[in-house]
Amino acid sequence: MHPDAVYVWLVIAAITLATFLTRSSLHLVGTHWELPLRLEVALRYAPACALAAIVLPDLLYSQGQLHFGFDNLRLVAAAAAAALFLATRSALGTIVGGMAVFWILKATLT
Amino acid sequence: MIPAAPTARDAFWRGVRELLPLTPGVAAWGLVTGVAMVKAGLTVPQALGLSLLAYAGSAQLASLPLIAATSPVWLVLLTCVIVNLRFLVYSAVTRPYLARASTSQRLWLGYLVGDVMFARFSALLQAEPGYPHKLAYYFGAASSNWLAWQVTSIIGILAADAIPLSWGLELAGTLALIALLVPLCTRLPALAGVVVAAAIAVLAHDWPLKLGMLAGVVAGITAAMVVDGATASRR
Repeated sequence: MHPDAVYVWLVIAAITLATFLTRSSLHLVGTHWELPLRLEVALRYAPACALAAIVLPDLLYSQGQLHFGFDNLRLVAAAAAAALFLATRSALGTIVGGMAVFWILKATLT
Repeated sequence: MIPAAPTARDAFWRGVRELLPLTPGVAAWGLVTGVAMVKAGLTVPQALGLSLLAYAGSAQLASLPLIAATSPVWLVLLTCVIVNLRFLVYSAVTRPYLARASTSQRLWLGYLVGDVMFARFSALLQAEPGYPHKLAYYFGAASSNWLAWQVTSIIGILAADAIPLSWGLELAGTLALIALLVPLCTRLPALAGVVVAAAIAVLAHDWPLKLGMLAGVVAGITAAMVVDGATASRR
């Protein structure tokens, strides 16, 4: 069940490199260089778009099949979690509350 | 009587202290990330290595579905760069305070940046723009953040195998990403970008190499910039 070890270590190196590039490159190039405005606008929206493009397919697909509807418990729990975040602004509450919704639905429906 | 000016040491400990109320959120995230990495098939040494080397929760969580699909390494790299682009924005904010920092300080400053500590640091910049030891405060807040994250993440990694797969606990990793995503969508351009990115990524899910995700990101950023331009010109 474990993915190939060499592959995983390469991926770990890639994640570390990606993090280093984004966190430290600007610190190292010195203070005389400024970001172009349009790039700054794009940078502002990139993380939200990336997270959405990862989270939604992850919730909607299981074993390669699209599951859209109330019988997709992960999706329902995630929607509840998002509503909970809007109401409470608490990351902890969002994770705990969303999992609680998921487990309650799973226990009552199966 | 005027209180004595804070020393760098005071500033460090003030940073440590002021991050403490925010640590439950960091701890929940760390725990979830630790568990999710092992549940995704990483061994304990791999998960520990990833946590300590990268120290980037959202990039770690975002990589897990890609690892599960054995996506190419370059795609994981590109995905993590995109997820982490907010750090580039953060570093643009801290850069003016680095004029006298050494290279090793700059590297540590970069490694230690996190969403929660940076939110706290921004609050200090707004409330007390003239505060003398901003870097020491930064390192204090960042150290609290790092410790809370690594300790709980390691607990999650070591405890993961005791938690049955049937609990579906990997969902908690996705929920943690949602808690990061929702506050980014408060303005219209971001919301438009997120909707487009999600729709394209879902529709293009069957594209090879998870390229549909990348198409979603590009389409989403484009949509956000179009809406941003339209709303900005009306002001």
